Amino acid sequence: MAAPVIQLEHVRKRFALPGGEAVPVLDIDSFTMAAGEQCALEGQSGSGKSTLLHVISGIMRPDAGRVVIDGVDLTRLPEARRDRVRADKLGLVFQQFNLLPGFTALENVLVAMSFGSDKADRWRATDLLAAVGLTDRLHHKPAELSIGQQQRVAVARALANKPRVILADEPTASIDPAHQQQVIDLLKNTCAEHDVALLVVTHAPEVAGQFPRRVRLEDFNRAARAGASA
Amino acid sequence: MTLLGIAWRNIRQRALTSGLTALSLALGVALVVATLVTGGLVKQAFESGSGLGYNMIVGAKGSPLQLVLNSVYFISRPIENISWNFYQEFLPAIERPDGEDGRFAASTATAVPICMGDYYRSHRVVGTNAAFFSRLKRGNGEPYHFASGANFTDDDFFGGVIGASVARTLGLKVGDPFAPTHGADDGAMHDPFYVRGILARTDTPIDRGVFVNMEGFYLQEGHAKPLPEGAVAEESSSQDAGDAAVGPPRVDGQLDPLPYAQREVTAILLETASLPGLPPELTSMGLRTTINEGREGQAALPIAEIRQLLDLFVKPLELLLLLVTTLVVIVSAIGILVSMVGSSLERSRDVAVMRALGARRAHVLATVLFEAILLAGFGGLAGWTLGHGIVAAIGPWITTNAGVSATIFSGSWAEALLVPFLVVLAIAAALIPAIAAYRTDVAKWLHGG
Repeated sequence: MAAPVIQLEHVRKRFALPGGEAVPVLDIDSFTMAAGEQCALEGQSGSGKSTLLHVISGIMRPDAGRVVIDGVDLTRLPEARRDRVRADKLGLVFQQFNLLPGFTALENVLVAMSFGSDKADRWRATDLLAAVGLTDRLHHKPAELSIGQQQRVAVARALANKPRVILADEPTASIDPAHQQQVIDLLKNTCAEHDVALLVVTHAPEVAGQFPRRVRLEDFNRAARAGASA
Repeated sequence: MTLLGIAWRNIRQRALTSGLTALSLALGVALVVATLVTGGLVKQAFESGSGLGYNMIVGAKGSPLQLVLNSVYFISRPIENISWNFYQEFLPAIERPDGEDGRFAASTATAVPICMGDYYRSHRVVGTNAAFFSRLKRGNGEPYHFASGANFTDDDFFGGVIGASVARTLGLKVGDPFAPTHGADDGAMHDPFYVRGILARTDTPIDRGVFVNMEGFYLQEGHAKPLPEGAVAEESSSQDAGDAAVGPPRVDGQLDPLPYAQREVTAILLETASLPGLPPELTSMGLRTTINEGREGQAALPIAEIRQLLDLFVKPLELLLLLVTTLVVIVSAIGILVSMVGSSLERSRDVAVMRALGARRAHVLATVLFEAILLAGFGGLAGWTLGHGIVAAIGPWITTNAGVSATIFSGSWAEALLVPFLVVLAIAAALIPAIAAYRTDVAKWLHGG
């Protein structure tokens, strides 16, 4: 088996409620993903899926445990270094695409590149957009693109810094069924083509069913099980 | 893409808000620049008179400041005239008809009379003699230079010299005739004088002056002092008969000069001499005291009067301008703050996205500050250009009225600090939204705020 690009060990995360009570959200003994692996992560609403993605991406720091991305232990790094790891090794695709509205498709990719270790490369950004079929939409702003085109830009942007992992948070939740399959195919094919691991969070069984590995958060997150049973 | 590029895109994304903010900045800065430059020119106009080439002005009793304003700056009205005899007290024996030194001759190096009261197309006409340009120096110690032609001579009764601004404004050339009017622009027209020389620009009130030979000046209607009845008889009792008709020697080809007894002068420009064993300051102080204690006139020290004028009027004006400038710049900075705080909700989502893409907190902080710097920089530079455009537009009016050159390049030292000061204030103002961006909760905003 290839070396893991995501490795979680004894990860705990709690959120404090306004009254001061701390509610456990993540309580995971172990979770790993190998390089190039494609995995669907299912879970009920409130089961901690988004929090898990934030912890994996270094946006949030767990209260305990280790989060290792491509050999780098995020939990031992200060925030600025975690940001750099996120820029270099992870690509994020959001439910709402979250493209920067004032920037063209090309600029959205270039912005992501500017935070990575490598210099922003206009030609590579153009190639990435061409690879997702947007050669003629390089200089269009998000508002001038269709939903499907926006999602393609989001995928190209996620690949901007040659990441080892793409984390996609409900990438099909806000688009019509006709486009859902296109998005899934795009993500799977692009990640396979670039040898990038893909972790897609979804609550749609028909989406999860298309991935070679399919896990339910409740199965390995004790906090989610406790919440579900409560 | 650089952080500066990202900041620029953010500004373009909020084009209307950013444009209005930059416009308000530009208008504020234009106002400040125009005010600073104009204020600087006013100060320059007064300071240009502080180096005069003479150190004392003798005139009729009254306000010394009025005497200085009238004689140096050609503004305000003449107080009154002083007698020709009093003027002659400053002359050495060689220049006096009686062949004896005047009472003040020993303390006087140069005494140049000026006669005022006429105008030529809104410019003051100054009757004087050739010594004005041949013996007095400019304030910087340089002699007067002529851009064309030369000084008039004392025996050329209808010769004149005009300042650079007059020549430019009125389009007069050497040889052109000009006829002054008595007392005001619409007063009775006198005989024409002829331009013999046009002075090179001095950036002093001299540029606005029209100078004519006082011999010709005295011959104009209303310029001869009427002799009181019986004066001739009184003069006859003490002097040789016919003294009342004594005047300068007649010059071939010229009219008879006005007799001394019918002459007056408005003021005397004095360069005091150093008395043996006394420093020049003491000489002038002593002379001034003596004159002021007498009944014939007053002596004013123009530099002291000008300094007092600067202290009383120009310096408070400068302070006021500085206050206005500071307030305008602070208001501009608040404008940036309001604009950026107003768009902070919109920005929070973008900041969260950028942070998710790997931007560090320092990146988003810098991006917001760059936005402020760009807004302040562009607004400031646009305003600076507009301000100078305004100065250039009113430049001819300033030049004509203040005697100083006002062009698009006229500047003030304070301007050099204005845009940097604005940028620093903009950074200070942008710190609040920048810190808010720095502290953006990424997880919250990525899930719809």
